[in-house]
Amino acid sequence: MAADTGATSGARPSSATETTGSRGGLLGPMRGTPAIQTQGLRKIYGHGKAAKTALNGLDLTVERGEVFGFLGPNGAGKTTTIRLLLDLLRPSAGRISVLGEDPRSRPELRRRIGYLAGDFVVDGRQTGADLLAYLGRLRGGVDRERVAALAERLDLDTSRRISGLSKGNRQKIGVVQAFMHAPELLILDEPTSGLDPFLQQQFVELVQEAKAGGQTVFMSSHVMSEVQATCDRVGIIRGGELAAVEQVEGLRQRAFRKIEITFAQPVDPAEFAGLAGVSDVTADGPVVRCRLAGTADELVKTAARHTVVDLLSEEPELEELFFAYYAHGEGSRR
Amino acid sequence: MNVFRKYLRDNRRSIIGWTIAMSVVSAMYTSFYPTVGQNPDMAKAMDAYPQALKDALHMQDLTDPANYLASTVFGLLIPALVIVMAIAYGVKAVAADEEAHTLDLVLAHPVGRGSLALQRVAAIGASLAIVSAAVLAVTLALRNSAGLSAVAPDRFVAVCVQLLLFGLVYGSLAYAVGAITGRRGLALGVSAGVAVLSYLAYSFFVQVDALQWTKNLSPFQWYLGGEPLKHGLQWGDSGLLLLVSAVLVAAGTARFTRRDVAV
Ligand SMILES: Nc1ncnc2c1ncn2[C@@H]1O[C@H](COP(=O)(O)OP(=O)(O)OP(=O)(O)O)[C@@H](O)[C@H]1O
Ligand SMILES: [Mg+2]
Repeated sequence: MAADTGATSGARPSSATETTGSRGGLLGPMRGTPAIQTQGLRKIYGHGKAAKTALNGLDLTVERGEVFGFLGPNGAGKTTTIRLLLDLLRPSAGRISVLGEDPRSRPELRRRIGYLAGDFVVDGRQTGADLLAYLGRLRGGVDRERVAALAERLDLDTSRRISGLSKGNRQKIGVVQAFMHAPELLILDEPTSGLDPFLQQQFVELVQEAKAGGQTVFMSSHVMSEVQATCDRVGIIRGGELAAVEQVEGLRQRAFRKIEITFAQPVDPAEFAGLAGVSDVTADGPVVRCRLAGTADELVKTAARHTVVDLLSEEPELEELFFAYYAHGEGSRR
Repeated sequence: MNVFRKYLRDNRRSIIGWTIAMSVVSAMYTSFYPTVGQNPDMAKAMDAYPQALKDALHMQDLTDPANYLASTVFGLLIPALVIVMAIAYGVKAVAADEEAHTLDLVLAHPVGRGSLALQRVAAIGASLAIVSAAVLAVTLALRNSAGLSAVAPDRFVAVCVQLLLFGLVYGSLAYAVGAITGRRGLALGVSAGVAVLSYLAYSFFVQVDALQWTKNLSPFQWYLGGEPLKHGLQWGDSGLLLLVSAVLVAAGTARFTRRDVAV
């Protein structure tokens, strides 16, 4: 577990099992129990020699009303976790509570959940409208106008046979069926895979609207920009264990941003080297570049002693922060 | 009942196809009776066959209308078609859906696994009832014109009911293997193997004294052995067909509701 050191200190898990009690007040009517809670969740696929541990004691809490991003390298156990939440898989050990109930307890629980699978496939010998009507009936009826509006927004033609649709258009059907009944809890596994940038933006808006409406969203993703745009918190899973849980806002503040200051005359970079939060200072004629973590106050005041021609500060990229959790480390694959 | 209706709807073309095929086959065999069964030359030609072969093919005395029907329409192609259809539908109910990764979506909806499985099994039963009814309708319609009026209509009903229950056994078997393992190929293979064995047990194994007993384990025996065309509905045989189906469905469903659904 202690594989991350030095360079990645900005992303060190500050509290791996943080549960955020304080955010609750903002979320309107709370019903006590978290939207999702797992305790010591283990999942072992297969038996005997072929046994493969996919989850190794996962403790995860997703509060009601929050948008929770579930990140991690390929094979970390995201899809496994999600399918356990929907009672498609049965845990080898541990407890799961979804909206306060055991997923196994009764099928009606799933009326309150919208699910989009990582590989959304349906029988192609029907139209999108047929499928959506069927799924709506399984849910005891959904608002047709809402379905039509969603399809319109995503520019989806539901009158066409699914077998004739492109991958992205099929994925849209998946998005519509997950959102169409405005469920309390949305569980989405890589929801935007196959969607073009315009539709990814539409999706981000859908999630933001869901959040505004008090819905909870739990989604796995490899697309950092959409995580950054939608999520309140992210959990990082690796090798079947939760490696970190972070507030996105807190990360943003701790994240490094690249600063580039252009002065009227060349200045001595050493002036900036010792400042709080500043690192990697380089000078290139009148241009000084550095990385900044935290407040910019000292840096700006020091720069102000000279004539500043231009100042560029990039939006911090969370992506870099997460790199440490991906790619390397023994825990990530076995 | 959404799942039930959807299953029938998704299979409507297939059901229509099977219904037409079986109606045509029944019509052809039935209307051949005057040329085959009532033809003295044919009867003589039959006498030339070795008795063992005739026993195996259940073709003795084809001039008798009930025997003719039992060894042609209801004894060969129709039960074979019913078996193929039942197995195909049974495999589709869970295993094929699961291997195509399309089962996830439905099960993520507020439908219990047991309910889903049972509704689909019921839809298989309904599909088999439709084709059995078609066979009944066609044979009854041609009964007089084909010179088969010696066989009373209720005997036709009896054999068609037993045909339906017979199909249900194979459909349930295919469903059960698929529901237990989630594997389409296995469900198909096991069911086809059992179908062949049960036919052999009913026809060829009976030639071997040591294998005589296997006949009583064959659904073919439970279907035709009691000669429903002569003696009417065989309650014991029908009950047995139904019971075996029920046990298979129960076993498949019990496992299906407890295991993981494969991605
Ligand atoms: N049916 C299965 N049988 C055996 N092992 C499995 C099965 N499904 C998943 N695994 C293994 O469990 C681990 C977790 O897989 P999972 O699909 O949950 O990963 P993931 O985090 O969703 O990855 P990705 O980002 O690629 O979607 C992987 O090592 C995978 O090989
Ligand atoms: Mg996955």
